Amino acid sequence: MSTITFDPETLESLQQQKSTRPWRKKPNRFTASVTLAVVIPALIVSALYLTSDIPVPILLVVIYLPLQLIASGIAAWATKGTRGIADSVIIVNAIGASLFSVIVLVSIIGSLIVRGLRAVSPHFLFQNSVYISPSTPLDYGGIGHSLVGTLLIVFIASLISVPIGIATAVYITEVRGRAVPYVRFFVQAMSGVPSVVAGLFILTIVVATGAFNQSAFAGGLAYAILMLPTVARTAEEVLKLVPDDLRTGALALGSTRARTVLRVVIPAARTGIITAIILGVARVIGETAPLLLAAGNNDQTVVNPFGSPISSVPTYIFNNVALPYPDAVARAWGSALVLIILVAILFTLARIIGRGRVGR
Amino acid sequence: MANLAQMELRDLQSAATSHRGDRVFSRTVAGAAFTSLAVLAGIAIFLGLQAIPAFQTQGWAFLTTTGWDINTTPPTVGIFGMLYGSVLLAVIGLVIAVPASLLLAVFMVFLSPPRLAKVLTNLIDLMAAIPSVILGLWAFYILNPTAEEWQVLLNKYLGWIPIFENTSGNFLGTPFIAGFVLAIMMIPIITAVTREVLSRTPPDLINASEALGCSLWTMLRYVALPYGRGGIVGGVMLGLGRALGETIAVFFVLKIVFETNWDKVIESGGGSVATLIVSRFGEVSGPLELQLLLAAGFFLFIMTLVVNVIANLIVSRTGRLQK
Repeated sequence: MSTITFDPETLESLQQQKSTRPWRKKPNRFTASVTLAVVIPALIVSALYLTSDIPVPILLVVIYLPLQLIASGIAAWATKGTRGIADSVIIVNAIGASLFSVIVLVSIIGSLIVRGLRAVSPHFLFQNSVYISPSTPLDYGGIGHSLVGTLLIVFIASLISVPIGIATAVYITEVRGRAVPYVRFFVQAMSGVPSVVAGLFILTIVVATGAFNQSAFAGGLAYAILMLPTVARTAEEVLKLVPDDLRTGALALGSTRARTVLRVVIPAARTGIITAIILGVARVIGETAPLLLAAGNNDQTVVNPFGSPISSVPTYIFNNVALPYPDAVARAWGSALVLIILVAILFTLARIIGRGRVGR
Repeated sequence: MANLAQMELRDLQSAATSHRGDRVFSRTVAGAAFTSLAVLAGIAIFLGLQAIPAFQTQGWAFLTTTGWDINTTPPTVGIFGMLYGSVLLAVIGLVIAVPASLLLAVFMVFLSPPRLAKVLTNLIDLMAAIPSVILGLWAFYILNPTAEEWQVLLNKYLGWIPIFENTSGNFLGTPFIAGFVLAIMMIPIITAVTREVLSRTPPDLINASEALGCSLWTMLRYVALPYGRGGIVGGVMLGLGRALGETIAVFFVLKIVFETNWDKVIESGGGSVATLIVSRFGEVSGPLELQLLLAAGFFLFIMTLVVNVIANLIVSRTGRLQK
């Protein structure tokens, strides 16, 4: 995922634009008509909701939205003339779309917290599922084995993809060979590989050939494919921020190119590179399909990365979602809560570190 | 030698590259940089090799028919319904996600107070970070009952439109629900790109349009949207690429059927290549069926690769134009 920032200059000029129009005082008529346009449709729909038994979706889509559009249109026409009507349509729909997205997000996070907290307890984080069947009460068992598996797989994926990702970024920003546009193109194309295809690929070349079982190593390879583009692209952005003075300075002191990169440029971008790694980990940590194919499943705690199938948090959730036992489903919600908290921690870390002294 | 002041950093670096260690370093780094190409080629070759036997037994029927019967000899297998299903789900997702994302981006850039826009940006980033398995879990337990209600109403009042027909009375596992989940995955991607593009509209152009008496709508219509068109289209294609490859979230809400569901969006049952792979993999009957799944994966890879390459070309070209 690429981090996108507001261009501060644009933002400022947009704000200025609003504040530098002192002649545009909002007349009372404007305030009054906007208030009426908001209140009247809401009142009508609330009254209908309380008195009739029209289903809520119909009430919202067939009655409230058109009413609100008409009311806003009239308000806009009263204050700005016919020109305002199209604006009012956009504004109503834009606010509607924003509310829709916020409601979806609140529903997801809220349900995770409400349903997930039932299962989460200290033993849920540390025990494994060896003696646990789907109907076992929540007093026993946990996702300790899956957490160990996820950590192991992510660690292996990082070991593989971080050096390659940084080297790719170094090639683009430091070596600046002739193939830079192609390398960038391939990295971007690679970021679009579906996760299930990455899993199938590793399954074909590692598991099906008999080189290794389904294991943390195979899972880590599949994760590495998904992680590499994120690490490479973020590291590229970060290395670009390192001032050229540092490079020329090192070269002028007689340092070789390799030493310039390894001893000056990369250390200067250290915090940014850590951010790149964290973003890469956050990108893959919830991926399920590649692990279903390449890492398999296990109820025991596995620490050997090569020998046997291994559990992970996403596959644990996957296996418990649709079981007809309330406690198994509660475990799925609990581990989903743990997973989203892990992702949130990683993103927060990346933001805090990234805000630091990158390339200064 | 050229004027020293005009020397580029690259020249300076190559002037320093007589050292042997440097040559080794450059080559190592260049080698690593081509890992992405090697992986892409590896996927194409190894999955492509697996697709050959599938083609030998099935011929073009593998791509043009729909069915999954392993027990006949040779097995009669076709993934057309799955490929078409992937596209249908993505289109349903786009129909929901594109207007929502555009409006959301317009709200964030032109309408909302900056502080609210910042909060919304963080929320949308959070939405993008939700793993698909969690989205699937939510969709299975929370969205399903609600969406079932919506679809019953759609069918009741708009059932005379062919796409809203439902003869089975079963409103779960429909393309509509799966497409809705895909829309939730696409909204953050499309919104992020669109917001970025819209916020780069030169303020001078916006000021000028206001001075000429443009309203918000005319400004969007004649200034901001034409200016950001390429970026927006690219963002939509990136979302599309993501939707075509999505596996797990769709797995929980779509009933996979081996018939081509052409247009019945609220009828139970549909197809998706990615989901087919995961759902058959658990009960795979032998090397032959595995090979067929790998062949399906090959075509999924090609499909998403094409979409992504086009998307990236569009995005990078508009990036250049704007500079």
